Amino acid sequence: MKTTLPTRLAQVVAASILIFASVMKFKGDPGAIEIFTKLEMEPGGRYIAAIFEMLAGLLLLSSFAAFGSVLAIGMMAGALIAHATRLGLEVNNDGGALVGQLAIVLLSSLFVAISRRKEIPIIGSSF
Amino acid sequence: MNSSLALDLEKTSRTANGGIVVLLGLFALAGNFISFYFHFGTVAFLLLVLLNTYWRHFQSSHTLLANFGFLAQFRYLAESVGPEFRQYLFSSDTEERPFNRNERAEVYRKSKGIDSSSAFGTLLSYDPEEAKIRHSFYPTDKQRLEKFDVAVGAARGLETTYHINRPIMISAMSYGALGENTVRSLARGAKLAGIPMNTGEGGYPKYHLMENCDLIFQLGTAKFGVRNEEGYLDDQKLADLAAKDQIKMIEIKLSQGAKPGKGGLLPKEKITKEIAELRGVPQDKDVLSPAHHLECVDAKTTVEFLARVQKVGGLPTGMKFCLGRDDEFRELVQEMKRQKTLPDFITVDGGEGGTGAAPKSFMDDLGMPLFEALPLVHQILSEEGVRAQIVLFASGKLISPGKQIKAMSLGADVAYSARGFLLSLGCIQALQCNKNSCPVGITTHEPHLQKGLNIEDKSKRVANYVDALHHEFDELLAATGAASASSLTTKNIYFSNANQSVAANN
Ligand SMILES: Cc1cc2nc3c(=O)[nH]c(=O)nc-3n(C[C@H](O)[C@H](O)[C@H](O)COP(=O)(O)O)c2cc1C
Repeated sequence: MKTTLPTRLAQVVAASILIFASVMKFKGDPGAIEIFTKLEMEPGGRYIAAIFEMLAGLLLLSSFAAFGSVLAIGMMAGALIAHATRLGLEVNNDGGALVGQLAIVLLSSLFVAISRRKEIPIIGSSF
Repeated sequence: MNSSLALDLEKTSRTANGGIVVLLGLFALAGNFISFYFHFGTVAFLLLVLLNTYWRHFQSSHTLLANFGFLAQFRYLAESVGPEFRQYLFSSDTEERPFNRNERAEVYRKSKGIDSSSAFGTLLSYDPEEAKIRHSFYPTDKQRLEKFDVAVGAARGLETTYHINRPIMISAMSYGALGENTVRSLARGAKLAGIPMNTGEGGYPKYHLMENCDLIFQLGTAKFGVRNEEGYLDDQKLADLAAKDQIKMIEIKLSQGAKPGKGGLLPKEKITKEIAELRGVPQDKDVLSPAHHLECVDAKTTVEFLARVQKVGGLPTGMKFCLGRDDEFRELVQEMKRQKTLPDFITVDGGEGGTGAAPKSFMDDLGMPLFEALPLVHQILSEEGVRAQIVLFASGKLISPGKQIKAMSLGADVAYSARGFLLSLGCIQALQCNKNSCPVGITTHEPHLQKGLNIEDKSKRVANYVDALHHEFDELLAATGAASASSLTTKNIYFSNANQSVAANN
């Protein structure tokens, strides 16, 4: 399928944020540790999330971007739940920057998923 | 086996569609109160539920998904890994009956407007018993091909003479056998494609008329829609119907290929209040049409009846039958000549024809196959000197342009198909037309099964199918070197030695 420039752009944006966030989690950034402590998932959950984010980010840059976008949407949905139920909008006095990042990744992944929906195997033909 | 499987699908899918919502709730609760890890499940089910909602309520191009939700994906999954499995375990692409997977796939592609060229070679066992089209050294140039035009009623000089401009028409299927959405999709598609649609023997064609396409009214043996209380023809009712603008021709049904010698059958499972009204029958009993028109007990009375319908209706009028005994047919033609009453058209339905419901032995053991019957009918009409006055329609699995050309080489003027059009609507050959449980909503009156059949979408598929067929038909025709379908003869068809008898008959 023909991919347009906006789709590719969205892939790069989502992927860079995801990969950056993943690296921070792997490195044990204090902010990340605090979040996962609040979620009672430290350290296992932090590594699982980091792995998934890395995977999603790399896939978004590959020819399997459609997969990556779905995975990213899932991760962001999970993060949204976390903010909604435990963390709140503002984390460590960041003025909502984290939630803003999350929204950017979510929206651009949605955009990628929708424009590349036909590439998803089996269910792709149903759109 | 087939039917129990499908019933299960309905119940199972309902459980599954509800089940994923429940699971979503459970995971969300567990994620909140037990451990955040459960939210991995919440997210997975959230995506599934969203997707499922879209499939069920916001799209209509996939009937199975709309009717059954995500479980239907397993069918697509099975289809996509099918070839590998089937090769070792199950039936192959060319083995299923009545239409094998290849034949169906071709209709699906045509109706979806997808390129259907294929590569490497035919998948058919290119066996010598099958008839093939003979091509010419000198194919016709495209611009020399004449427009398809068959005039019905011209021989009698009727003012109401009807012109058929495409090689295929929609054969009789009643409202009753088909659901409302199906009838309307076909009718709208017929209108788009500019072809006539036969109403079938289901009585007053309420839903057909809504779409304003050209109609061939079928007068079944029970005369639904135009009968008096004893089941004889009510002239006034027929005259009223025939006066409607959309009704272009009348087809008197003597018999059909799937159950020759037996009347129509509508199982009580499928009789809704409305159908009972449109047909004028009780709702709690199978509706059995008589095996013959009460008026017609021999050649003489049959021709008299034909004359009466021609007079009352004032439209091109013909008869449909599946050939049994050729001596009887010759006698009938001679009687027509004696009474100077010729039908404007004759529909020959092959013994392989389809049906909404018929006893198995009638389907399997009665009726001449189309490619045997057609040349015989053509020959008898020619020998009796009336072939030129009568248009020949043919039906019986003529769902591809190749088969249509073959039928025309054997004498047909226009092809008719019923099941080809059901396939274009997305029929998956679940073989449940007699059960009211058709999973793709075609031969059922259940609203929740019909839901997936979007009239606007599906009517386009019908029209696409006709367009693609007609295009390929012209290409094949050009390859034979003929300039028009009417000039096709048995010279254009090839039979192996085993089948020479058919060709020799001509
Ligand atoms: C669901 C269904 C309903 C049918 N109803 C009628 C009918 O009411 N009257 C009739 O003469 N033939 C009826 N037929 C037979 C078809 O008109 C046609 O003669 C036959 O199926 C052969 O065409 P095909 O092989 O293209 O399906 C029905 C066929 C199907 C599949």
